Amino acid sequence: MVLTGAVVITGNGHTRRGLLAAVAGASALAGCGVFDSGPDVPPAPDPLQPVLVEAVALAAAYDRLAAAQPPLARRLGPLAADHRAHAAELARVMGTAAPSAPASAAATIEDLRAAERAAQRTAGTACRQAPAERAALAGSIAACRASHVEALR
Amino acid sequence: MSEELSAALAAEEAAIYAYGVIGVHLTATADIAEARAAEQVHRTRRDAVVSRLAALNASTAPAPAAYRLPFPVTGTASALKLAIHVEDGVAAAWRAVLPASEGDDRSAALAALTDAAVRATRWRRRAGVTPETLPFPGR
Repeated sequence: MVLTGAVVITGNGHTRRGLLAAVAGASALAGCGVFDSGPDVPPAPDPLQPVLVEAVALAAAYDRLAAAQPPLARRLGPLAADHRAHAAELARVMGTAAPSAPASAAATIEDLRAAERAAQRTAGTACRQAPAERAALAGSIAACRASHVEALR
Repeated sequence: MSEELSAALAAEEAAIYAYGVIGVHLTATADIAEARAAEQVHRTRRDAVVSRLAALNASTAPAPAAYRLPFPVTGTASALKLAIHVEDGVAAAWRAVLPASEGDDRSAALAALTDAAVRATRWRRRAGVTPETLPFPGR
């Protein structure tokens, strides 16, 4: 933590950001092995992580809209369940726990359709770049997300 | 990959045959138009797979002249059910190509899997089947 010595904490947000930047800089340098040759390099994020994050966020977005508009619940429930199934399977394959969903305002059907389209692209990219053993899972998730766009018509 | 592509070719051939049967039993104009469009998509895909297999120097078996349908098709309801069955089967065949392929071949397989999943969902809605989607199309 030699790089943080010059930062004075005054309770002012600006200097606190300075501290965070300095800490980040220090760990980045440490990660490069400048100060430490130990195996501290953080592992690269799993390429399926963005697909998992979206699955969790989409399930939560469907739940919020169904809660806000109960007549939609019967239609949206199975779509949310698909995303939960994706999150569970992705977490299993990645050997990680599913992250918690971000808090956000209730979406509209139109928002969900746009989010599904974007999420389909994420999963499609993951499928194209995945090793063989993960290609089918990512591909099915991309295809499912595309079918959700159709189901929301 | 040739083995998986040949299976995808067989699924596309079966789909083309099935849509011929399906078309006869549909009555709604929109359903008939949808079936015709689907059949054309499967023909285009079939031709693309034949070309790809030829480029790979893989031999292809001729398509059977007729198929045994998984259940009798006697009217609109069973025709719609067959359409769903066919698209699910096509999705499964293309999903199997994904781990066996790379690059453009995998992209083509993904596009075919996605297309079949979307069309299966459309047929489920037309048939009044719920849920309209599968969590893992082709699995």
